[in-house]
Amino acid sequence: MKEKTYEDVKYFSEMVAGKQLWILNKDEEHLEMIIRGLQKNYNRYGYFACPCRDSDGVKSEDMDIICPCKYSRPDIEEYGHCYCGLYLDREFYNKKKELSSIPERRKPA
Amino acid sequence: MDKICFTEEKGGNNCGDITVYALSTCAFCKKALKFLRENSVYFKYVYVDDLDPELKLQIKDELRSKFDREVGFPFLIIDDEKTIVGFTESEYKEEILGRQKNS
Repeated sequence: MKEKTYEDVKYFSEMVAGKQLWILNKDEEHLEMIIRGLQKNYNRYGYFACPCRDSDGVKSEDMDIICPCKYSRPDIEEYGHCYCGLYLDREFYNKKKELSSIPERRKPA
Repeated sequence: MDKICFTEEKGGNNCGDITVYALSTCAFCKKALKFLRENSVYFKYVYVDDLDPELKLQIKDELRSKFDREVGFPFLIIDDEKTIVGFTESEYKEEILGRQKNS
């Protein structure tokens, strides 16, 4: 498997945000931490497991948390950003609110 | 849990016995650790995703059972009783800095 570079992962995230009409987090420090987290997960598991959720690296068990995760749309609708804070909606972005952790929608295994 | 190799951050503020279980990939975990460092809080932490998978599973099971709640990250424990899951700066200020003891 070819490893992903930081730029590869940034490009992937930009494409997802563009397609979904979301905005990437403009807090550069937060954004870099997430991109590096996604990069680490891809390069060790082979898929973009959400960086803020624990994974055992079994893709079939993680289909719901592969970025953009199954919960991102309802989370963005309710809280203005996804679970890890990578994707924001425009309203949340314009308010320039501080990001905080949000409740986990994923049901326990 | 005795096998876990924690990293200690020897800040000057004693806010109780603080332990953080975190993910090395998680921005909110990194923000939580940064908050504790910037406020010179004495704490210890471990990145569970970098541990042996068996040990990680054991840690999660023990945390879930001991504190009777689902394990999310960061998972912070104060004085082996109170837990905070996730990172919200106002909550950290109130629950952690509010316990600052003169030492």
